[in-house]
Amino acid sequence: MTKETQLKVLLIDDEPDRVKALEDALNALGHNVVCHLTQPNELNRHVEQTEPDIVIIDMDSPNRDTLESMATMSRQNPRPIIFFAEQQNDRAAMAAAINAGVSAYVADGLQPDRVKTIMDTAIAQFDAYNSLRQELDKAKTQLADRKIIEKAKGMLMKHQGCDEEQAYSTLRKLAMDRGQKLIDVARNVIDVLELASGASR
Amino acid sequence: MSEQLTPEKTDLKLGFVALLDCAPLVVAREKGFFNDHGLNVILCKEASWASIRDKVSFGLYDGAHMLAPMPLASTLGMNGNQTNMLTALTLSQNGTAITLARKPYLELSEQINDWSDTDAVGKAFHDWVKQTDKRPVLATVYPYSNHHYQLLYWLKQYQIDVDQDINLVAVPPVQMVGSLADGLIDGFCVGEPWNSLALLRNIGGILTTGFQIWGSHMEKVLGVTQEWAEKYPNTHRALVSALMEGCHWAEAPENREELMQMLALPPYLDQSARQLTGFHSPFPMHQRMYGENVNRPDPEYGRFLLQQMLACGQLNEVDAETCSLVDQVYRRDLFTAWQ
Repeated sequence: MTKETQLKVLLIDDEPDRVKALEDALNALGHNVVCHLTQPNELNRHVEQTEPDIVIIDMDSPNRDTLESMATMSRQNPRPIIFFAEQQNDRAAMAAAINAGVSAYVADGLQPDRVKTIMDTAIAQFDAYNSLRQELDKAKTQLADRKIIEKAKGMLMKHQGCDEEQAYSTLRKLAMDRGQKLIDVARNVIDVLELASGASR
Repeated sequence: MSEQLTPEKTDLKLGFVALLDCAPLVVAREKGFFNDHGLNVILCKEASWASIRDKVSFGLYDGAHMLAPMPLASTLGMNGNQTNMLTALTLSQNGTAITLARKPYLELSEQINDWSDTDAVGKAFHDWVKQTDKRPVLATVYPYSNHHYQLLYWLKQYQIDVDQDINLVAVPPVQMVGSLADGLIDGFCVGEPWNSLALLRNIGGILTTGFQIWGSHMEKVLGVTQEWAEKYPNTHRALVSALMEGCHWAEAPENREELMQMLALPPYLDQSARQLTGFHSPFPMHQRMYGENVNRPDPEYGRFLLQQMLACGQLNEVDAETCSLVDQVYRRDLFTAWQ
């Protein structure tokens, strides 16, 4: 692939396995992954330095707001970035991205069809990762741990009025947010909810 | 409630961001107000306003805790796909502030005798900005927020040029206090609890508040898409009624301690809320969730917002058509009809 069609891609995602898989897939397409930030404390500086054509970011990242702010503060930003949907005007593609948990911002003036393949690749990688993660999580959890997690899940279901899958995803999200193991989060949830139900009695 | 209409849809998902003013949603859930109105509601925590907007806009959520300018920005198609959104309920007023790092704050303290003299504070800040060696770095969170507009409004008021005198950056709220402590930024404009947490950790001081800059204004709303509101009017009404009860309960001082415990539960704000138990900011931010004229959406505020969007270059012009959109977004009529 020639230099002209090669795009600079900035990846923002804190799942190392997913970053690696997507980076490989994009490199195979002939693109140039400039940077993947696991702890993007200085996102502003990175975007200025790398001048990406497209930024691919995990939907759960708080840095989405930061990117959107940067896009409006274009006086600082020589290459304004715009939201993927604004360029695509394709609700089906957007919905697929949202469901996979990925969003993208592209440099103004980029041709939509060039972005489409990158987005399709990202969505496929995120989808594949999601199912793989669910499999792995299941396999890894030992029986003893599983009992505690089940208990925490049950308490969350009762407390939140949600179903099993939602309770599990709440636990997993808490674990990700705090950088803790699922089992530790489960123990903590049990402690807090037991305390809360005791206090309200 | 005068009459109970059957909701067209009873199982709902609402998005929220972990801030103090998500309280009405948490209270309505924990105190069973949603159930009283025939609704089963699941609350989903989101890490960004961008995701809140996208998930409401694409129907993954029925509605959400939103920054008051968001339904207007979305209706105008700013920074994302265009979706008509509206609000029939204000969840909170005020609660934002501008915080400066400890070191410059102490320097400023030598010039300022009375911190309630807002004009003296603004002028002292102006002088400090003009004579300091390095351009101060000020952070904001999201482009379509009161915080963003207030910071720019205040800087302009004291002749501080955003392009020349300071360096404006964006930082996620969860990283705000840490960035201030680490010296990556010199100040920020953000909502609660982050200003109070900076005070509690003794790493910064409050310069002024959104209330002092603008007076009372809408801060967070219940945002839904226009399509959803037209499809489920009875559900919408039940949701607004349940949340009004949540607002009422959350505002009562005698419930404050229980509220903080509730917010500290794992699915909501986490332990940061517990740190605020018993803490009263020396600088009142006038955050309100219930009261006369507090919860009614205000189209005048919408028109004021258009001027702010214009002033900071988010809009190029405001024509009569844009002005008339405001009444479709801030639905004072629905709120009033449902009381």
